[in-house]
Amino acid sequence: MRRLRGAQGLAPWGLFFAAFGIFPLVYALALSFLAYNPLRPDLVRWVGLDNYIRALQSPSFWHALRTTVIFVVGTLPVTLTLAYTVSGLLASVRRGAGFFRAAIFFPATLSMVVIALVFKSLYAEEGLLNGWLGAMGLSRVHWLQDPALALPSIMLMDIWASVGYYAILILAARKTLPEEQFEAARLEGLTRLQIERRIVLPHVRPVLLFVVLLNTIRSFQIFIEVFVLTRGGPLESTLTLVYHLYERAFYHFEMGYASALAYLLLLVVGAILLVQRRFLGGDPMEARAR
Amino acid sequence: MTARARRSSVPVYAALGAIALVSLAPLLYMARVSLGRGGDLPVTPSDWLAQGFSLEHYRAILTGGPMARFALNSIVVTVVAVPLQVLFAAAAGHALARVRFVGRGVFLALATAFLILPRQVTLVPLYLLLSRAGLLDTYLALILPHLADPFGVLFMAHYYQTMSAELEEAARTDGWSSAAIFWRIVLPLSGPGLAVVGVNGFLITWNAFLHPLVLTTSESMRTLPVGLALFAQSEYAVDWGALLAGSTLATLPVVVAFAFFQRQIVEGVLKGSSR
Repeated sequence: MRRLRGAQGLAPWGLFFAAFGIFPLVYALALSFLAYNPLRPDLVRWVGLDNYIRALQSPSFWHALRTTVIFVVGTLPVTLTLAYTVSGLLASVRRGAGFFRAAIFFPATLSMVVIALVFKSLYAEEGLLNGWLGAMGLSRVHWLQDPALALPSIMLMDIWASVGYYAILILAARKTLPEEQFEAARLEGLTRLQIERRIVLPHVRPVLLFVVLLNTIRSFQIFIEVFVLTRGGPLESTLTLVYHLYERAFYHFEMGYASALAYLLLLVVGAILLVQRRFLGGDPMEARAR
Repeated sequence: MTARARRSSVPVYAALGAIALVSLAPLLYMARVSLGRGGDLPVTPSDWLAQGFSLEHYRAILTGGPMARFALNSIVVTVVAVPLQVLFAAAAGHALARVRFVGRGVFLALATAFLILPRQVTLVPLYLLLSRAGLLDTYLALILPHLADPFGVLFMAHYYQTMSAELEEAARTDGWSSAAIFWRIVLPLSGPGLAVVGVNGFLITWNAFLHPLVLTTSESMRTLPVGLALFAQSEYAVDWGALLAGSTLATLPVVVAFAFFQRQIVEGVLKGSSR
């Protein structure tokens, strides 16, 4: 009995977790099998897998998925390379290291709304970037209005906002490398680059894989960037999965359909986690510097 | 440091300086615009100087319009939610670390899964749940979902696992109640861990967007991030000065938190606190 009594501390959080975590998760699954418009409770009915079938047959769903894949393919290699390089630079200095680490990491703590608003001002027709292009005698660029440029503009912002965050993750992994290994390598006459390739890279590899995974999963959840900068346009060129879900649920009140979209998102993310575990090895949670 | 090493570090410092500048420049620009005059964006460096400095944008957003209310809402939500989050994390983390109760493994697995699963899945059900409870567009709608956050609980469970239980055992032998042990022994020893949970909880609560957007409907219940984002979408020409002044206001508490708790923020990030 003493053991059960000891667990009472779990209750406050446990209740909220059950009510606002687990229950909504299960409720969403149930909703995904219903036609559910909260404004028309008389029309709620069971539709089986119809919502899923409709999603898989909907051009918007595939378009949103494709946008996300372009986003990942376009940002991940750049973000990863930059983050790795920055972590190397940070690891190689002593004096001022704290300042540089803080300056580079700070954007990661900001509200994405604030970041997106600042970039919206930079990308504005009369904004800083176009002003500079004009000063150089170049013509204006419609950063967010041109369907070919809107997504790349958002990707650029995402890279800016992410590099510091991942650089800090990789830096932490670098620091767990014992100093003696560097000494030994230097005594053997290895160059900086060789040390980087033969010793550091294998050591931080699990964290790099974790960064790949985390960044991919986050890219599938992009919402604020799109909401603030483009609202999915122009011509749906920046329509992401979560923005699509938001529109279906809160503009069209197709709550059942939106829940099916949410579960498809969950399945995609789950599949990414499984692929990571199966082919890249290791538990992603274990890769953290725990 | 040898002369050669010193020379070779010059390009490294140059690169780091450039990266730090790129990383901070958009924020300095935000602050500069917010302190300017008029609605136009200053573009060239000469504009930055010519525009002069003034608090007119701050005066405008804080005296007229809804921005002051947005800020108040954000403060209320954060001030209520974060201390509760911290307390719940300590209590639940301690139970998970010390007591082998039935279902403990399930709790741990579910909480861990929630760290990485897309939160958007709970958006529609939470909306329906809170709307049926009549809580839509209230402070409770903005606060309650934050109390389910699993990060702090997992973090504290790990924290207590690495903390010796000897003192607690001794107190128990002396006949102390579980509650007394928790309040008078465990909590006072939890400061460093709770600081990590608290500051990361603050960042997540203060910056929250998607759920507050959906769970509030009237302008007077918007939080700062939601209010700012909707303000930027008005049909009329955007008032950049006011918008970026609001953004700067929303950023100031984050700057303060960062200045005092950078180490704890980084530790939280390393152990899985999401942004």
